[in-house]
Amino acid sequence: MTLIGIQHVDKSFPSRHGTITIMQDISFDVKDADFLAIVGPSGCGKSTLLRLIQGLDRPTAGRVEFRGKPVDRVCAQMAMVFQSFALYPWLTVAQNVAFGLEALDWPADRIATQVERYVSVTGLDGFQEAYPRELSGGMRQRVGLARALAVEPAVLLMDEPFSALDALTAESLREEILQLWTDPQLPPEAVVLVTHNIEEAIQLADRVIVMSRRPSHVLAEVAIDLPRPRDRKSPAFYELTDRVYSLITEGGTPMSAPPEGKPAA
Amino acid sequence: MAETDPARAYLPSFSARSAALYLAIPTFLGAIGIAGYGSTLDGIARLLPTATIDVGFSFVRMCAAYAASLGFALAYGYYAATHRTGERVMIPILDILQSVPILGFFPVAIYFFVGLTPAVSWLGPNIASVFLIFTSMSWNMVFGVYESVKNLPSELKEAADTFGLRGGLRFRRVLFPATVNRLVYNSVLSWTGGWFFLVEAEIFTTNTSPLRGIGSFLSLSASAHNADAFLAGILVLIVVIALLDFAVWRPLGRLAERFRYDTSPSGEGAVPEPTRDHAGRFHRAAAYVTRGVRTSVSWISTPLVQLASITVRPVRRPSEFQRSVFYYLALGAILVVVWLMMIAITVAVFRVYTGPISGSVRHQILLLPLAMGASALRITAAYAFCLAIALPLAIFLARRPRASRVGLPIVEVVASFPATALFPVIIFELIPYMGAEGASVLMLLTGMMWYLFFNLLAGVRSLAPDLEEAARSFGLKGRQFFRRVLLPGIFPALVTGSITAFGGGWNTMIVAEYLHVGTSRSLSVLGIGQQIDIGYAEVGGTPLMVAALFTLVASVIVINEVIWKPLYRRAADRFRYD
Repeated sequence: MTLIGIQHVDKSFPSRHGTITIMQDISFDVKDADFLAIVGPSGCGKSTLLRLIQGLDRPTAGRVEFRGKPVDRVCAQMAMVFQSFALYPWLTVAQNVAFGLEALDWPADRIATQVERYVSVTGLDGFQEAYPRELSGGMRQRVGLARALAVEPAVLLMDEPFSALDALTAESLREEILQLWTDPQLPPEAVVLVTHNIEEAIQLADRVIVMSRRPSHVLAEVAIDLPRPRDRKSPAFYELTDRVYSLITEGGTPMSAPPEGKPAA
Repeated sequence: MAETDPARAYLPSFSARSAALYLAIPTFLGAIGIAGYGSTLDGIARLLPTATIDVGFSFVRMCAAYAASLGFALAYGYYAATHRTGERVMIPILDILQSVPILGFFPVAIYFFVGLTPAVSWLGPNIASVFLIFTSMSWNMVFGVYESVKNLPSELKEAADTFGLRGGLRFRRVLFPATVNRLVYNSVLSWTGGWFFLVEAEIFTTNTSPLRGIGSFLSLSASAHNADAFLAGILVLIVVIALLDFAVWRPLGRLAERFRYDTSPSGEGAVPEPTRDHAGRFHRAAAYVTRGVRTSVSWISTPLVQLASITVRPVRRPSEFQRSVFYYLALGAILVVVWLMMIAITVAVFRVYTGPISGSVRHQILLLPLAMGASALRITAAYAFCLAIALPLAIFLARRPRASRVGLPIVEVVASFPATALFPVIIFELIPYMGAEGASVLMLLTGMMWYLFFNLLAGVRSLAPDLEEAARSFGLKGRQFFRRVLLPGIFPALVTGSITAFGGGWNTMIVAEYLHVGTSRSLSVLGIGQQIDIGYAEVGGTPLMVAALFTLVASVIVINEVIWKPLYRRAADRFRYD
């Protein structure tokens, strides 16, 4: 079932030098049980696209639909995890995680139970009363993740969630995301991950949307059929990375010969 | 889920060192009083109760003004920050209003409020003074709220949007906490400025419409050469300021720490110190000026800015300098003509409402440009002295951590004490030694010094350490380092500090040029402040008062638009790091 439909979306911004067109004619779907990654060069509008999906911003042309209905305001069934964590420094970890639940007007005891649950799930036990400034980058992003999961969204949107972390922390968080994803009891139903790290996209996602330079369009949708957990050193992994990389840098032609049976969608 | 209760974390915080510094001032003055003026500890003690009551009156005025400012700042600031259309009007208005020397309006305000409440004689002046202090306090608090909300990192706003936070919840969890830090800091600034201006206002009215308070108490004591009373007053005032510091501002500052946010994503980034950020609002207000006005203004201002920026870059051709001077003189001539025209209009308007104006008053009015010029010279002289003291002091303290650990607390305590409280002493005791002009310049200096100093301090501190390292690795030392790295680096802070210093100076003019206590007139030097005061004090002088005030306000606005704002824009463009 299609959860999110993006149909012929354009986005441009007015500026001092006239109108800047970020993206043109972007179309793709996000279905149930999809883990979708969006990759592309800097400035291609990946993060803007994520905001269009949630409804934080409106496209200049085209439609964004959630479960068949147009997204004309911020969609409450989606939740975002931010690149710089976006935690409120004056709220404790527990209060930050409860942030979205308060807006949903949940009663206090129900909020407390929910917060406890997702604090455990994301490995933050014991840190409930800590303030963000006392936490490392990895812990802070876990709080961001817990906050997003706590509202039990249908779609989890992630805006370059690991790019502000060091390589080791990012790696362990990626593994945790995969564990959460494979747990059927946990939300969400679909994930849209924006990243500039091609390997990360291939490691985590089922499908990778490759965007071009600005004004960007969809260069390709690459299906990742490898079983999880994926071995980064396997030839298939290399080949996929290579293909996505060439798509981005050359805007089309892959450097190595296309392997059998795996056409770019 | 336990709510951490900020109230439980509140504790008054007493610092023995600061207490000692606070008490050093009255001790020092007391020593002078006892040695030179025959005052006795016994005599001082006997007058403490009266002094306390008078300080109490002043304190009540301050509280009323502050409460009004806080409410106003929260309402106005939030509205402007969250409503695009309102913002376009509200911020430029405030920007112009805050550059107007508000104390200049004090005589007019008294006149107005006394006229409103003729039956109750003490109500008018009190409302006038509270209103005036309210205006002086509220501008920077409004800007504090406005800028905190606007500068909130966009991700924090997006997170609130993403989780659907609206209305009251959004206010409680996001918008209000974002302003707490700036509000506390700006409240301290507001109170410091407020004491200064309130005492100034009370001194001003000592003779004419008595406002019972510490200002009039000190003024009367000084004019009667009553050292005991004067020292008692100073002592009580300092104790009150110290108590406020220990019981209110320091604990609040600690609480507000929790609300600081840094924008660096990982690890502990250094949180930028909340400087008195006039930078942001001048920059924004400048953007609102329509292009037409800006081009015509820049025709006038470019040579002036070139003249001013000679300090930072050496003149390459003498003809450039000559051209600037020529434009400057021409501009001066144009301004004088415009002034005369405006004054003529004011007088004409007045004739319609109040009947004919006496010849002597008309004569005074025509001399107003001269008075304005005299005041401008005086304030520039005071500024030059300020710069000569503040710049080396700021550089010294900012670059030597050991010196600043001792020196900075001293400076902060001294700066928190309203220098206007000492004006009566300066006027009644020091004029024989330094002359009326000297005393006047000294008083102006006290009203300008701290604005300049603290901005320069922040500027030197914020000099990026890697720029310094680069300079050192290329072997830049001493004079070269000073000229090529340090001065350009602090140029924006210098401009901001100068703008605010001049603002403080204009405000001090009302008492720095003319004071009339008892039957003796103690100070009168030619100047616009003097003209306003004379117009206020003398019968039939109302047209003079209004015309002088009009001249002052118009001149300050013109100077801001033509000199300071373009200078600031130039500083912001050339010397920004990003």
